[in-house]
Amino acid sequence: MSLRRFFYSFPIFFTVFLLQEAVVTQMRLPAGGINLLLVVALIWAALSTPEIGALTGFGAGLMMDVSQTSPGPMGHWTLVLIIACYAVAFLGYGDDNIRGNPINIVFLVTIGVVAAQLAFLLLGMMLGQEVGSISNIAFLLAGSAFWTAIISPLILKVTSFFHAIIFGARAHL
Amino acid sequence: MRYGGDNRGRLLIIVLLVTSLFLITLDLRGVQVIDGLRTGTQTALTPVQKAGAWVVSPFRNFLSDVTHLGRTRNQMEKLKSENEKLRLKLQGRQTADAQLKQLKGVLNLAGTAGYKVVNAKVISQGSSTSFTQTITIDAGTTSGVHTNMTVLSGYGLVGVVKYAYANSALVQLASDPAFKIGARIAGTQQIGILSGQGTRKGVLQLLDNTTQVHKGDALLARGSQNGRPFVPGVPIGEVISVDNSPGAVTQTADVKFYSNFSTLGVVAVVVSGDSADPRDALVPPKPRPTPLPTVTIYATPGAVEPTPTATK
Repeated sequence: MSLRRFFYSFPIFFTVFLLQEAVVTQMRLPAGGINLLLVVALIWAALSTPEIGALTGFGAGLMMDVSQTSPGPMGHWTLVLIIACYAVAFLGYGDDNIRGNPINIVFLVTIGVVAAQLAFLLLGMMLGQEVGSISNIAFLLAGSAFWTAIISPLILKVTSFFHAIIFGARAHL
Repeated sequence: MRYGGDNRGRLLIIVLLVTSLFLITLDLRGVQVIDGLRTGTQTALTPVQKAGAWVVSPFRNFLSDVTHLGRTRNQMEKLKSENEKLRLKLQGRQTADAQLKQLKGVLNLAGTAGYKVVNAKVISQGSSTSFTQTITIDAGTTSGVHTNMTVLSGYGLVGVVKYAYANSALVQLASDPAFKIGARIAGTQQIGILSGQGTRKGVLQLLDNTTQVHKGDALLARGSQNGRPFVPGVPIGEVISVDNSPGAVTQTADVKFYSNFSTLGVVAVVVSGDSADPRDALVPPKPRPTPLPTVTIYATPGAVEPTPTATK
């Protein structure tokens, strides 16, 4: 039943993917900008069960992998996001202290975004990709954390609303 | 209650992880289906990105202004009153003029070198969250753009076409950490390898440790066989500092790229280069100080002083 409901979320993620590719990448935000799909996927996972979190990571990761700006092989982001979304969902599942407080979700998602990017970086290094200077990586990770902390409170309510429509009102903030 | 998981859940996680590893393996082995998936997605996304570029361009210009406010505050204050009138007149044409300026620069550069180029607009900039530096341009294989072609701006090298789709192409910027180019120093002809560092600054590694590189030296592309991926003679950047550590195996220098990758609007893809190497013809001229007017007075002893009262 959850699996069937999960597929209902595809249009939402596809819309976010289009927004990311057509709008967010045009904004040329300083400090590396933000990956909206990554943030939405982690928020969605934080509101879901670990299984749905892993499936969300799988779907969002596939979308990020088919993006032409993804430098790694197909499956690179998928692998990272399955683990990241599962971990975020696992940490939040059944713990009302985390789920019931938007600040905790924002904090969890911000940490999740940075951790996912670090995991992406490490996996990329293992696969032989060039990653650039440490100072640049630190700058981009800090920028990503900053933008996530700014953007995620703004989209948390909307994401929570759609999540509640699909999976029921229990997860609605 | 903390989550304990069940067998079905664990099986799902394992299946998803194995699937992603399977995809990575397939892609690394060069399976065509995976490449086709990305190409198809990009072909479908190109019109959406073009529409997005049109819609977002006013906001992007505004954000760009805000970003550069600190750096140019003094200059802006000085020019503010002068610009106010012009801004009103040119408000509707600002974007077009900026692109025209970039286009003229590109065409001047390409014309001097004898390159045959295809001009293109930048329709998207790659997200840095993947630790890469890329842009997407609105010209693709239908315009004659193919992979491994040099991309220029009016100031010099921008990057190289990494993937070419029907109506768009992905350009790897020279600032990308994976970017490497054979370079030579204008004048002395010393050669080395320039690597991107993720910023506007690159690192030049000279191949010969006995030669000297100096601050202010201009770097040009050495060129590749048949002009792909790099046509020879393209200006890359200028040496801003030299690492003269004693005992170093190779000499290295920091290079600032001529092109400003964050403000790219129009670029040109070199579809075929001139058979002759332009050598150092494309090196940008050094800025000259503005000459101050000087007044020379010749005084001859015994002569009448040229004053208004000396006319009696």
